[in-house]
Amino acid sequence: MSPRFRAGGQVAIAGYAHSQVRRHAGRPLGALAVEAARAAIADAGLELRDIDGFVTAPLFPTSGAHTAEDGVSTVSADWLAGALGAAPRYTAGFQGVGQLPGAVALAVGAIAGGAADCVLLHRALHNPAGHYHGSARHEVGGLQQWTVPQGFFGPLPMIALPYNEYLQRYGADHESMASVVVEARKNGARIPWSYWYQRPLTAMEYLASPMVNDPVRRLDCDIPVDGVAAFVLTSAERARDLPHRPVHVAGFASSPPPPPRLPLHWPLDDIMAGGAETARRLWEHAGVGPGEVDLPQVYDGFSPFVWFWLESLGHCPAGEAHRFVQDGGIDSDAPGALPVLSGGGAIGGGRMHGVPQMLECYLQLAGRAGPRQRAGAEVAVACQSSPHYGGAVVYTAQPW
Amino acid sequence: MTAPRPLPVPDANSTPYWEAAARHVLALPGCSRCGAFCVPPGPTCRHCHAADPAFTYRPVSGRGRVRSWTVVRRTSLAGFEGEVPFVLVDVELAEQEELRMIGRLLDGPDAPLRAGAPVTVAFEDVTDGVAVPGFVLGDGS
Repeated sequence: MSPRFRAGGQVAIAGYAHSQVRRHAGRPLGALAVEAARAAIADAGLELRDIDGFVTAPLFPTSGAHTAEDGVSTVSADWLAGALGAAPRYTAGFQGVGQLPGAVALAVGAIAGGAADCVLLHRALHNPAGHYHGSARHEVGGLQQWTVPQGFFGPLPMIALPYNEYLQRYGADHESMASVVVEARKNGARIPWSYWYQRPLTAMEYLASPMVNDPVRRLDCDIPVDGVAAFVLTSAERARDLPHRPVHVAGFASSPPPPPRLPLHWPLDDIMAGGAETARRLWEHAGVGPGEVDLPQVYDGFSPFVWFWLESLGHCPAGEAHRFVQDGGIDSDAPGALPVLSGGGAIGGGRMHGVPQMLECYLQLAGRAGPRQRAGAEVAVACQSSPHYGGAVVYTAQPW
Repeated sequence: MTAPRPLPVPDANSTPYWEAAARHVLALPGCSRCGAFCVPPGPTCRHCHAADPAFTYRPVSGRGRVRSWTVVRRTSLAGFEGEVPFVLVDVELAEQEELRMIGRLLDGPDAPLRAGAPVTVAFEDVTDGVAVPGFVLGDGS
């Protein structure tokens, strides 16, 4: 049995829509999702009655006390189908690790297997009032009793520990991370729906920004937002007859099971070992290697993930990503550089959990990136979350 | 008014840990099948994959080395808002490779830290009968 994905190249993205990204939309998330879904279906040249599958990853990624209310702070596939008045024969929500790649895998499997012909895939993210991860609890049971009474809680110290491990082990510095954040914000500033549209950042501004959990600065974190993206997927065969150039799904991978650890304890060695296996699975599944990728879009919900993904995907040797970045290696305006944040990422766009990466792959390979269009991009990779606790999808302009 | 610190709710797997901590002893769960420590203890042994690890608690030296650290200046826990800035250390304990715990460094936010620095367990008496393990710099001698 070949490890290669048998349905590689059989399913394609045919259209998309993206809401404006705002700190607080002032409307329920479900209303944004309905509008984005209708716009994506129209963009794909289809009607609502053509959509017979709905897929999402409904996670509301707060560690705190906010409740997930369907249609308000999260939007499930069933909720969206119902609100649109659709009658799908397939709905699913991905609950595993690497939410957006996992949802893409569900949609591709449904189409390739004949469970649906046209799938509306969406991702809806909400920024609640108050502290995103805030928790006022006084008593802690379960696994968190091993960390919360000590003050270890939430994603800031989670990422601060491996980031600091990297800085210490490889002698990396904050100037290198400034290059990451400035690059994300430069590209995000060019994207009209981005939260940071027309608001680039200088390295000096980055280096003057406050530490929140040393060595993590506030500007190393993506900003929580309200926003919805929707994509229409269908068979490559059907997509050829639709208005836009199809972008094919060659393959995907999610991370291997992480080593059991204290909750949110992500040692650097776990990230890199798991990341190497994620990448190995990805190349094997899609039948491509890192040297064939024109447009890797790495995840940047926290800026250190950019270094970790660059090394996991094999674009830099271990411990070298910080130098690669500082030497202009990811400058989307430099000929020959690797444009890993050309879509602005989460730091340049807002906390959309892998959407900027997927959307940039789609727009560039479909030839729809407008003034940002890059010549000759054929193979792209969209990453999400940590290399050891996430996933990635390989997209190609032609069936691979 | 500052919110009170979050306190542990011990369960069948963790009661010996918190009872020992209250006496300022660090005791950790080991698998009864293979003997390896598992922190935190789960439904199975992560080392030998036994489905019936029947964890038993054994005191450990409390000595280890700093693998990483962070200075928490902003916290999501209301009960720690009055404590910032404070330091969390990621410690590999001497007893077993990759046996890692995270705790506060009780020397304060300006303590000199480096990767590999020796630390020793220390305890914060948070309320009556509840002590939370943390660490202090040095090998305890």
